[in-house]
Amino acid sequence: MGPAAAPGLEVPHDLRQRVGDLYCAYCDALDGGEYERWPELFTEACLYKVLPRENFERNLPIGLIACESRAMLRDRITALRETALYAPRIVRHFVSSLRIRAVEPDGIRASANFLLIQSMVDQPSEVFLAGTYHDRIVEVDGALCFAEKLCVYDSTIVPTSLVLPV
Amino acid sequence: MDTRADAPRRPWPNERWSRIPNWVYTDPAVFQREQERIFEGASWLYVCLEAEIPRPGDFKRSQLGTKPVVALRDGDGLVNVVLNRCAHRSAQFCNANAGSLKEIVCPYHQWTYNLKGELVGVPFRRGYHGQGGMPAEFRMEEHGLQRLRVSCRNGVVFASFSDATEPLEQYLGPRQLASFDRVFDGRELELLGNLRQRIPCNWKLMQENIKDPYHASLLHVFLVSFGLFRLDQRSEVELDETGRHAVLISRRGEQVANEATQEMRNFRADFALEDKRLIDPQREFPGDATVAMQTIWPNIIIQQQSNTLATRQIVPLDAGQFDLAWTFFGYRDDPPELRQRRLRQANLMGPAGYVSLDDSEALLISQWGIDPNPEADMLLEMGGREVRNETHMVTETALRGFYKYYTEVMGL
Repeated sequence: MGPAAAPGLEVPHDLRQRVGDLYCAYCDALDGGEYERWPELFTEACLYKVLPRENFERNLPIGLIACESRAMLRDRITALRETALYAPRIVRHFVSSLRIRAVEPDGIRASANFLLIQSMVDQPSEVFLAGTYHDRIVEVDGALCFAEKLCVYDSTIVPTSLVLPV
Repeated sequence: MDTRADAPRRPWPNERWSRIPNWVYTDPAVFQREQERIFEGASWLYVCLEAEIPRPGDFKRSQLGTKPVVALRDGDGLVNVVLNRCAHRSAQFCNANAGSLKEIVCPYHQWTYNLKGELVGVPFRRGYHGQGGMPAEFRMEEHGLQRLRVSCRNGVVFASFSDATEPLEQYLGPRQLASFDRVFDGRELELLGNLRQRIPCNWKLMQENIKDPYHASLLHVFLVSFGLFRLDQRSEVELDETGRHAVLISRRGEQVANEATQEMRNFRADFALEDKRLIDPQREFPGDATVAMQTIWPNIIIQQQSNTLATRQIVPLDAGQFDLAWTFFGYRDDPPELRQRRLRQANLMGPAGYVSLDDSEALLISQWGIDPNPEADMLLEMGGREVRNETHMVTETALRGFYKYYTEVMGL
């Protein structure tokens, strides 16, 4: 089963399958703790941003994270592994309503809902963030990867801190 | 701990402000008194930036202590701050964080107020066909929204619940005013965005965190390794006369090991970013200081770290949690490269910031340690027991200053 396509849009079955696989690989890398695999799902010159809906809708640029290259994504993982102080936690991604919006010369436009459930020591699991991915996907050396990933979260308020990528 | 409001508390330790009893971070009765004496007392409270409400009719929601308010720009171009509570039945009439309107209409019974908060419309005030309506002696002018005193300085909006609060300039004092004016120098500001996080710890720990230069050299690998704020650099901690406000000033250093960095476990001579554009600051302020972190009593932090500028508003929710509301800004006349630097360096700050993440997590584990141990005291003796200005970072003087003033205001 791959993602749905926007009404009226013809998307070959195998392409839908491959897009679906990309999102699975994304969740696997982050939920399985294989963080080094996460930057590899992006292009070298990628754009990755996490920002609140409030700023997104007002065209305000500030977000929680803004990476302008795969190198910046790798720097995030290095910090996560080696330099940041944080209480131990597990974050699990639930991605739904994945849809291919358009197939354009500069890539496939896709969107999906995300839900992040966070489990911390001595605490029950909690809803951490919910929102929408707005993505542009391209093919590099035969593999699909993200050229742009905009993670727009619904709530204005982030519980304590965002440690792991959305 | 017995957290009933009337539960007996241990007295304040004899060492005064070099010991802080843990119950100030947990006791609901203390929290309630803080609302009355500090937030609703003789204080100027940060509300928002004027750049967030540039045109007549623009509004921005805020919260001062536990009181929700709305800042509005009226037709005369003036900023008004009113309680977000209808004078009729107390409904919270404004539930969008920001926007624009022509008049305020409470959704419940459509009582209508102008942009100064004056009541201008009450449906069926005179009744219908001679029946009902408000009593003849009802005076519209006596039932406006509750307005706060407002003071704006160089694009920053402050409000006060109290008539006893001295003028803002006097409240800050000359040295803190100079530091404030260094960032808010009168140039028009550009809003870059808002972020907000909810941290399950007492609000005072946030003030303490930014008043504490000692932790910054130990905790933050990014500050220490890249020399953005480090104990061996020439620095000052400056307080106002009361001890309630402070500014930590420092100068950027190099990523080289020395006698001081040996005591910093988190100094990493070999630590490097793959994409170095993130740490590429440009000098922009007069003087040689590259970082100035100012804490203004009681609810605002002004952050200038390299080229990233923000206000961080402390919104206390109860004794055990607060919201930190970040407002990132630049100047309207910023060249594109400088604006880009501000946006890149913002990765250091906020709820996922390379630096600030460490702080919010440190605050979290602090409260985890405080809650089960209300009988314990905090120890604040780094750099002595006095409250005074210092020219180094191995000191907790600004925390002692905070509690010197705090105990006076709170009568503890």
